[in-house]
Amino acid sequence: MNRPLKKSKRRRSHISAKEERTAYLYLIPAFIGLIFITYLPLLGVFGISFFEWKGITSPKFNGIDNYVRLFTKDFFFVDSIKATVYFALIAVLGSMIYSLIIAMLLNRKIPARGFFRAIFYVPYVLPATAVYIGWSWLYETNFGLFNYLLARIGINKVQFLASSRLVVPSLAAISVWLSGNLIVIFLAGLQNVPRIYHEAAEIDGANAWQRFRNITIPCMTPIIFYNLLMSLVTNMQIVVPALSLTNGGPGNSSMFMTYLMYRYAFLNNQIGYACAISFIFFLIIAIFTAILFITSKSWIFYEGGD
Amino acid sequence: MKAMKKVLVLLLTVIMAFGMMACGKDDKDTSKDLPKTQDSDSGKKDTPSDVGSTEKVKLTFSIWGGQDEQANTQITVDKFNASQDRIEVEVLAIPWENYLTKLNSMATANELPDTGMMMETAVIPYAKEGMFADVSDMFKGQKVLDSLAFTYDGEIMAYSSANEVLLLFYNRDMFDAAGIPYPPADAANAWTWDEFVQTAKLLTLDSSGKNATEAGFDANNIVQYGCSVENLMWQLEVWAISNGAGYFTEDGKELIIDDPATIAALQEVADLYLAHKVAPLSTGATDDGIPRTIISGTVAMATNGQWNVGTSLKSAKDEGLNYGVGVLPYMKEKVTICTGGPTVVFAQSKHPEEAKEFLSWYNSIENSWKLIEDGIWMPIFEEYYTDESLTRKWVENEAFPPYEEYKSAVVDYAVNNTKRAAWYYTNNIDNFYAVLGSVLGEVWTGGDTVENAITSNIDVLRDAFEGR
Repeated sequence: MNRPLKKSKRRRSHISAKEERTAYLYLIPAFIGLIFITYLPLLGVFGISFFEWKGITSPKFNGIDNYVRLFTKDFFFVDSIKATVYFALIAVLGSMIYSLIIAMLLNRKIPARGFFRAIFYVPYVLPATAVYIGWSWLYETNFGLFNYLLARIGINKVQFLASSRLVVPSLAAISVWLSGNLIVIFLAGLQNVPRIYHEAAEIDGANAWQRFRNITIPCMTPIIFYNLLMSLVTNMQIVVPALSLTNGGPGNSSMFMTYLMYRYAFLNNQIGYACAISFIFFLIIAIFTAILFITSKSWIFYEGGD
Repeated sequence: MKAMKKVLVLLLTVIMAFGMMACGKDDKDTSKDLPKTQDSDSGKKDTPSDVGSTEKVKLTFSIWGGQDEQANTQITVDKFNASQDRIEVEVLAIPWENYLTKLNSMATANELPDTGMMMETAVIPYAKEGMFADVSDMFKGQKVLDSLAFTYDGEIMAYSSANEVLLLFYNRDMFDAAGIPYPPADAANAWTWDEFVQTAKLLTLDSSGKNATEAGFDANNIVQYGCSVENLMWQLEVWAISNGAGYFTEDGKELIIDDPATIAALQEVADLYLAHKVAPLSTGATDDGIPRTIISGTVAMATNGQWNVGTSLKSAKDEGLNYGVGVLPYMKEKVTICTGGPTVVFAQSKHPEEAKEFLSWYNSIENSWKLIEDGIWMPIFEEYYTDESLTRKWVENEAFPPYEEYKSAVVDYAVNNTKRAAWYYTNNIDNFYAVLGSVLGEVWTGGDTVENAITSNIDVLRDAFEGR
């Protein structure tokens, strides 16, 4: 992809240089936005992470102390990385599988298809806090609906949100339920899988599973990659359930990194320290994204690509 | 490359333009301040336009709260502005979520408002940095309850704008149905912890109607729980104090949370669910105790703050809830704790006297009356607790439980048996409660004992307490 572009650059004519200039000009507003709203704050966060700043008093430079404290003394930090990664893992895999299955069902010619498509998309547009509070009533240990139903069939109470073992999977299940946007994108992808391949395979005697495995999935890999990436970034940044339901508990089992950051910065006024967490968090997401990009080359199939 | 350079130049120009805009704003601000500083200048005024502007002292008053609260505060402040001609107060409304962040950044820029509301947990951290003006003489003549003073190093830093104490709320109908006398409404007759647990057992019913003392009681099918003791970290301390210890020494300087009496008290609370099966599981993560228990009709007795009378029980009463209020049970000492958000004068204010004058007016009983008669706030002035005619004026009101009951269970209790919540005298309490909440996280479901949780994490707790 890159090679031909470079060649044309070398042979750049006067006109194309002018066009390029115009292009840059049009890009400036976007650049300014990115620089002032994204890159400068990011640099700022990195800078502040080397200071002890309690909010009220002026910042004091303290070198890498914040980072040392994070990795050696912090009661929450390591648990918080574990909780975040664990949550993201379940939520991403869960929502990918769930969305793909729902999308394939919705792609069939079923009655009232439009209605069902809307139904599965609705959770995504509901206000997050309301969703979580509503689910907390379903999950509630003493009188919640799920436990009521379990009791009716003779199963002992399950502490969905109150037990440190179950809280992350329970919250991840909500996140899966919320993934209506992934369904929509999968659906669009499914409709682009050429019908002709399926027909050809059918003639060759391939069964439904073989067609799914060897036609649908390969054709969908670019869409799967996109959804995986979006889902990963969203689920790593999970914060609402910790804020509205669990306060990071029980123990530290749902102490997601964004929530921990919020707590240090805005409840305890340790701004410098929170910035250090923030920066580590940025690195973690970057690493996961990089892994995804690097491995993607081996499994993404671009139609018409080399 | 040339193109890149041009882009760079353009960018720099834009940055400079931004910078100049920012400077321009500053210039304007200082020029606005100028007339104020000039007025002491020998009283000689060159231009007639100066006359009006030099008369009034301008104050800003920062508040949080939604639109309704903002509008209400604005009405009160307008009344103050209309009532006199020396001071003009401007309301600075900041969303609750950003309140402290905003104040922090204003503090670093030396631009704090003159006066404002303050979160309980932030008072001592601010006091430690010398951010408050002395307000000990704010209420001339009117005595505020001693329990409502925030103190740092023995000095009074602020007063609560409202009073609140922890109480025991209960559902009368559930007691009547079980044929059990109501919880005591006065400290003299307060239940011991064992009496409380025993009563709770009689009120805990399974789906076949058996209570927790009967043979064949099915703890897996409870339809009504006897009690719920709120386990938010700050409310939980009352049991440690009641058992003769606490989280901290009374000067707020030492951590005594590993005292055996504190550990035993907290374990008693956890055992209500774990051992006695008389309380629903609560992990102390959400602050909705009374709606979740008494108002949902699933629990017979629940502890929580007085404000519930106004914030939730008032409307539940209108819809038919028959509730009463009593004093907390006790372990060794008959005690409750009080709290209340303060309003403060910031030390950065150039007009501390005027700010104090406004605050003392703002905190007057007339201006708080709406919240008091709704049952959300209790008065801060001692006379409302000691002068019966004033107490009647406050309590004889549809929103409240019967006068005699409320008088002994709340009014007298708040004067005679109240200790201050820890944020009145302890620094960095938010951080401490966050850590303690995590440390005790496994205790409520029985995954750990209080003793093990606290002793194995005592270094972490100590570190959080000493603060940073």
